Amino acid sequence: MTDVLGEGVTITKEGETSAFGGEILTVNFGPHHPSTHGVLRLIVDLDGEQIKRIKPVIGYLHTGIEKQMEALRWQQAVTVTDRHDYLSPPINNLAYALAVERLMGVDVPPRAKALRVIMSELTRLSSHLVWLGTSGIELGAMSMLMYCFRERDTILDMNEEISGFRMHTSYIRPGGVMADATPRFLEMLDRFCRTMPGYIDEYEALLTNNPIFRQRMIGIGRLSAEDAKVLGASGPMIRGSGVAWDLRKAYPYSGYENYDFEIATSNMCDCYGRYLVRIKEMREAVKILRQALDRLPDGPVNVDDRKMLPPPREELETSMEAVIHHFKLFTEGYSVPPGDVYVAVESGRGENGCYISSDGTHKPRRVKFRAASFVNLQALERMALNHMVADMIAIIGTADTVLGDCDR
Amino acid sequence: MGKNILTTTLGKVVGWGRGNSVWPAQFGLACCAIEMIATATAGVDIGRFGSEAMRASPRQSDLMIVSGRVSQKMAPILRTIYDQMPEPKWVISMGACASTGGVFNNYALLQGVDKIVPVDVYIPGCPPRPEDLLNALMILQERIKAQGILPRQ
Amino acid sequence: MISEKLIVDKGTSAGDDWITVDAANVHEALSGLRDEGYRMLSFLTCVDHLADSSRKWPARFEVVYQLRNLESREQIRVRAFVDGDPPHIDSVSDLFPPANWDERETYDLFGIVFRNHPDLTRILMPDDWVGHPLRRDYPVGGEPVEFSEEHERWQTAPEKA
Repeated sequence: MTDVLGEGVTITKEGETSAFGGEILTVNFGPHHPSTHGVLRLIVDLDGEQIKRIKPVIGYLHTGIEKQMEALRWQQAVTVTDRHDYLSPPINNLAYALAVERLMGVDVPPRAKALRVIMSELTRLSSHLVWLGTSGIELGAMSMLMYCFRERDTILDMNEEISGFRMHTSYIRPGGVMADATPRFLEMLDRFCRTMPGYIDEYEALLTNNPIFRQRMIGIGRLSAEDAKVLGASGPMIRGSGVAWDLRKAYPYSGYENYDFEIATSNMCDCYGRYLVRIKEMREAVKILRQALDRLPDGPVNVDDRKMLPPPREELETSMEAVIHHFKLFTEGYSVPPGDVYVAVESGRGENGCYISSDGTHKPRRVKFRAASFVNLQALERMALNHMVADMIAIIGTADTVLGDCDR
Repeated sequence: MGKNILTTTLGKVVGWGRGNSVWPAQFGLACCAIEMIATATAGVDIGRFGSEAMRASPRQSDLMIVSGRVSQKMAPILRTIYDQMPEPKWVISMGACASTGGVFNNYALLQGVDKIVPVDVYIPGCPPRPEDLLNALMILQERIKAQGILPRQ
Repeated sequence: MISEKLIVDKGTSAGDDWITVDAANVHEALSGLRDEGYRMLSFLTCVDHLADSSRKWPARFEVVYQLRNLESREQIRVRAFVDGDPPHIDSVSDLFPPANWDERETYDLFGIVFRNHPDLTRILMPDDWVGHPLRRDYPVGGEPVEFSEEHERWQTAPEKA
C-alpha cells in the first residue's frame, strides 16, 4: 500500500496482509473529527478492527506563539502565553512569570504566592472538568458534559470576578498578580470549597462503578511505569502508572511546600487508573484551595520594584519619578538581564515549562514552551496498539491532549 | 373553519423553518471551541434556538461556526469542509482569531477566516461569552427569516 | 559517567546548572549523563544568536537539552553550538524517545539537521513550507499594522548596520 493519502505517507510495509487474509486498511481520522479533542489527525492502519499502527500528525493549530513573543515586550508577552494550553491559562502564565522572575532575581510577596496557588488549583479543576465532561460524552455519557460544565461555569465566574476575564485571564504576571482578590471572590471561593466535594461525589457515583464505563476503560490503553518513564510522560499519564512524580512536590514553587496534599497515583496503568488519578487530583485541589483560603496572608500583591511594575495612579500626580517610571515601562518596557532559565510547573496535563533565553533587551530573544501534550502524544502509539478502533477514542481522551499546547 | 387557517407567504414559512432549526457543524479549533461547547450545555442552552443537533458531518449541517484560530495547515481543510456543506449555508466567525487573526499577527495564522470563506456574522471577543454566540445566532436567524426563499447573492 | 574532557564550559544561570559540549560529542555526552541517572529529557530546542550583541557566541545556533534525574531530582542543561548551512548535529532520539518529535520541531522551525533521525520531516508547518520560521532573519509575518512602530519593517530581523 503506497502513498494512499497522497502525502508521501507510507506506513505499511509492501505486501503486508492482515490476519484475516485481507489487506491492511489505512484510515484517516481527519483533523475535523468530533472526538479528537481538537485538530489532531491520526493515520491508522487497521487489520479488521484492530489497530496495527498509528501515526499522529499535528501542526493544524500551530500559532507561532514563540515567534510572536519575540515581537512583543516582556510584559505584553504574558497575554499570549494564556492561549497555548487554553484549558489552563493561569498555569501557563505562572510558568512564564516564574521564569522571568528568576532571571530578574525578584521574589513575589506571600499574598501573591497564595493567590497564584489559588488560581492554579482553580484552573486545574476547570481543566479536569472539561476532560471529564468531554471524555464522558465521547463514551456515551452525555449528562457528564452538562454537570461538569455547570461546575466549570462557577469557576469561570470566579475568574471573571478576580480578573475580568472568563478564560484567558493573564492574571499571573511577572512581578506578582494583576489585582488583589475582592471580598466577593473570597466569598465565592469559600462557597465553592464547601460544595465542590459533593459534586465530585456525584460524578463518581455516575461513573466509577458503572459497568459500561468500567468495561470501556479497564485494561484499555496500558502504559507500564517503565514505558511511561522512557517515553517522558508526565502528569496523570505517569501517575496513572504508579510513579509518584508531581512537580509541585519535586520542585515546589510559589509556596506549594506550605500546603498539605497527596500525590494521586494508581497502579492500574490503564485508562481507568488515569481516571481515578484525575478524580483524586480534583479532590486534592479542593483541599489546597481550602488551606490557601484559610491561611491567605495579608500584604501587597506585587513586587515593590518600580522598574518592573508601574506605580499606582495616585502617585503619578505627586511624584516626578513615578511619571518617568510609568513612561519608561509603557513605552519601552523593562529589560531582563541576559541568561537562560527553565521553569516547569504542573498543569492538568503534566509538565508545562517555560525556557527563556534573554539577551538583555526589552523583548524576549527566545521563549520555548515545553508542552506536556506534545510529549504525552508520543505515547499514543504504545498505548493504542492492538486495541479496537472504538477504544482509540477512550485512549485519546485519557491522554488529555490539548492541541493548542501541542502545536503552540 | 376560518379560525384554523393562517395565510402567509411561502418565503416567510421557509424562512421561519430554516431560521429556527439551524444545525451547526462542529468546527471547534481552539479556545473558542470550549465556549462553544459551553453554549450547548444546560446553563446557556443553544438547543432553545433549534441548534441542539451539532452535527459532526458537514453534509448534514447548515451553519459552520469557526471557533478558534485557523492556521496555514488547517486552511485548506476548512475550505473543504465548507464546500462539503449543502446550500443554503452560513458561517459565523467566532472570536477575534477567526475574524481577524486576533492577538496573533504572524506567519502561522490566517488573518481572518473571511479570506477563504464568506462570513455572515462576526463575533468579537477572546473568547466571546456563550451569550455572545447566542446573540450572533439570533442576528443570523433574523437574516435567514428575512431572506425567505430567495437564493443567496 | 560523563567524561570531564567532554565538557568545554560550565556554569550556573539563574539557579540552573549548565555545561557546554562540542557538537560532535553530543551523543556521547548525553549517553554518559543518561548512564549517570539523568534518564528524562525534558525538552530540546535551539536558540538563534544572530545579531545578539550582549556577548560573544561561539556559533550562531545553540542546541539546548534539559535532562532530569527522576530519583535525585537534579537537573542539568547541556548546550552545543552549531553552525553551517544547514547546521548538522547528531540525533539523540535513540537515547531518549521524546527527542524524536522535539528534533523534528527544531528541524522544522530552525533548519538544524539531525543525523540518524528515523523520520526528519516537518511537523508543525505544512509539508511544502519554505523557510524556517523561528530563525531571527525570518520575518514575523502577518499583516502590517498601521501606525505601529514596526510598520515599516514588520520583523524581528537585526538592524542592518
